[in-house]
Amino acid sequence: MHEKIMVATMGEYMDEIMKYTLDIIQERKTEVIGIYVVETSTPFLTPKKVKEMMATELRDQGEEILESMRQEFQSSKHYMINFKKLLREGDPAEEIVKAAEEEGVDLIILGTGKDIIDKRLLGSVSEKVVHSAPCNIMLIKTI
Amino acid sequence: MFELFILILALIISLIIVIKAADVFVDSIVEIGLALGISEIILGVTASAVGTSLPEFGSAMIAILTGSPDVGVGCAIGANIWNIAGILGVSAIFAGLITTKMEEVRRDGSMAFLTTLTITVALLLMGEISFVVGIILIIMYVVYLWILIRAQKSSKDREIECCEVDEKNRDLNKKTILMAVLGLVGLAIGCRAIVYCTVELSVMASIPEVLAGILLAFGTTAPEFFTVLTSAKKGLNSLAIGTVFGSNIFNILIGLGIPSLLVTIPVEPITIYFDAPVMVFMTLLLLFLIKRGMKLTRVEGIILVASYIIYIVTRLTIFS
Repeated sequence: MHEKIMVATMGEYMDEIMKYTLDIIQERKTEVIGIYVVETSTPFLTPKKVKEMMATELRDQGEEILESMRQEFQSSKHYMINFKKLLREGDPAEEIVKAAEEEGVDLIILGTGKDIIDKRLLGSVSEKVVHSAPCNIMLIKTI
Repeated sequence: MFELFILILALIISLIIVIKAADVFVDSIVEIGLALGISEIILGVTASAVGTSLPEFGSAMIAILTGSPDVGVGCAIGANIWNIAGILGVSAIFAGLITTKMEEVRRDGSMAFLTTLTITVALLLMGEISFVVGIILIIMYVVYLWILIRAQKSSKDREIECCEVDEKNRDLNKKTILMAVLGLVGLAIGCRAIVYCTVELSVMASIPEVLAGILLAFGTTAPEFFTVLTSAKKGLNSLAIGTVFGSNIFNILIGLGIPSLLVTIPVEPITIYFDAPVMVFMTLLLLFLIKRGMKLTRVEGIILVASYIIYIVTRLTIFS
């Protein structure tokens, strides 16, 4: 049914997200794109050196997360999956939607991620993606 | 009323100038250091420790040297209390969870506690910050920097074992030197303006200078506030807690240590018997909350912020 799936993660609840992705794929030949977005925005008075440090740390973190996704999705038992890593920088929701359009995916999978207080205080990437995604979305209830 | 408005506006503008000038200065100094062949590890460790704390250091230094020592001492101690109870508390409330590592708490947390304890005991015994105390504080900072650099080196060595290192030779250009000078000038002028506005505002509001210094810390710690809040929200927990501990250590050991080499710093009894012990208590409270599970939760953030509110209300009402 779905030939190209984008799995978005910030590193949390990866096991649940990957489990549901594999459930959907089953034995079909599918292309899976793992995406991690380095959020580079910082307030005006954040020191430049700190901004650089944050971006480097998040890039390293993203590489690690995508690598562990690759190891899971490209293991021998999931021979039918063709996995691709995507590390982007910018606003997470915007970048996920943009990448989904560019790659022509037909399903985006991501976690709901936060409880109600976190959503109020931090905002929700999944809510933003829901409103502007170019394809179907599967939200995994992680909280 | 108009004068009050102008002073507050001038204070805000000076704070922004100081924070941006500190940023330019640190950035240029790192470039110059690299061009002169100073190790990237030493520069990196020093720049991240100094970077966010220069506004407090500059303001405290200028205040002490221009005859308003209470503003300087209030700014350094006030910044330390606000860093822990206010900044880390607010960040834990927003981020929901800030985790840390035992190794970092042992190294930076213990040093932050030792620092606050040393200055408080020195104040209780001597009632002022003398040249000798200044020397002790600076030696402690040098030892701490050495420990930090050693820790950074061993983690870099581990990286080198697996990866290729990109060694870049950088040239020293005139623009970098000019930017360093401009940063320093901006820092000096901005800090002088901050101290002037703070003293004038304290006279207008009829509050003691030391209390004005404590309140000034809200502004001078803006780089810490944005660094800690943003990194906690992004899940960069080591950076969040490390910034608070690093800044608190720097504010006392260097922020009060360097000026005391030039002039003995007199300290008000209220600071010795109330503000400094509160600073020790807040450091202990943070260590107690963190050590329970190597994390700060939203509830613990509320406890920290509540402690700050109790402190500042007590300070403004009973001890002002």
